[in-house]
Amino acid sequence: MSNGKWDDKTIAAASSAVIILGGLAYYWVGEVQSTVELLELAYGSFKFFNNPLVF
Amino acid sequence: MVSNILNNYRSVVGLAVVLLVVLLIELFEVRAAIYPVLFPFFEWLKYSSWIGYLGTTYGSVYATVQAGHLISMAVIGGAVLVTDLRLLGVLLKDIPSETITEGTHKCFKYSLIVAIATGIFCAAGVADKVYYMPVFWVKMLALLAGSCFMFFIKQPLLNSRPHEEIEPWTMRLLAVASILVWFTVAATGRWIGFS
Repeated sequence: MSNGKWDDKTIAAASSAVIILGGLAYYWVGEVQSTVELLELAYGSFKFFNNPLVF
Repeated sequence: MVSNILNNYRSVVGLAVVLLVVLLIELFEVRAAIYPVLFPFFEWLKYSSWIGYLGTTYGSVYATVQAGHLISMAVIGGAVLVTDLRLLGVLLKDIPSETITEGTHKCFKYSLIVAIATGIFCAAGVADKVYYMPVFWVKMLALLAGSCFMFFIKQPLLNSRPHEEIEPWTMRLLAVASILVWFTVAATGRWIGFS
């Protein structure tokens, strides 16, 4: 509110951007976590450069 | 007092109402109740509608429409990246951001119409498959959120005044949220393709 920049549209834009960023960050972090868990379940450990499927 | 708030903070009140509706939908498990009801529609879309028939019978038609879908998604991605990277001060700094946002938004609007029209055709051909994919619903949600964000939040703010009068951190937040939401639409789209 300091210099009149925080009007209706600005508050709506900032809050919706924060909600979208939070929601999508939660989704993608969850996807990474489940992928790592799946790899650990399949191969015992999660290693980028020691995949037993690559000979 | 209430009418004063409604008049002065119309967008904020609208956003609060949308959030309340989403909260109620989740709280009363409306989404879970609607999901099984949608299945007959997806079955009809694939087996009984003419677009489902065309998509499943003629591979060349499906491939051509899908190419249109991919091109329109590429144009959306380009429009979003040019606009948002300009708002972040990364690209095209010698051109006023008002000029860029105005030009790219027209391109975005038409590409979105093409992407939705071709997307319905593409989904119809594999409707019984995508119905069971959580990632398909994530894409639909991201598409809905991204479109509403673009038409009801981002563009009204960017068109309301010269960009130098907009709070800089709000502009950066808008740009990053917009890039991430359209990245999600594209990534989940490819995920559907590879599932």
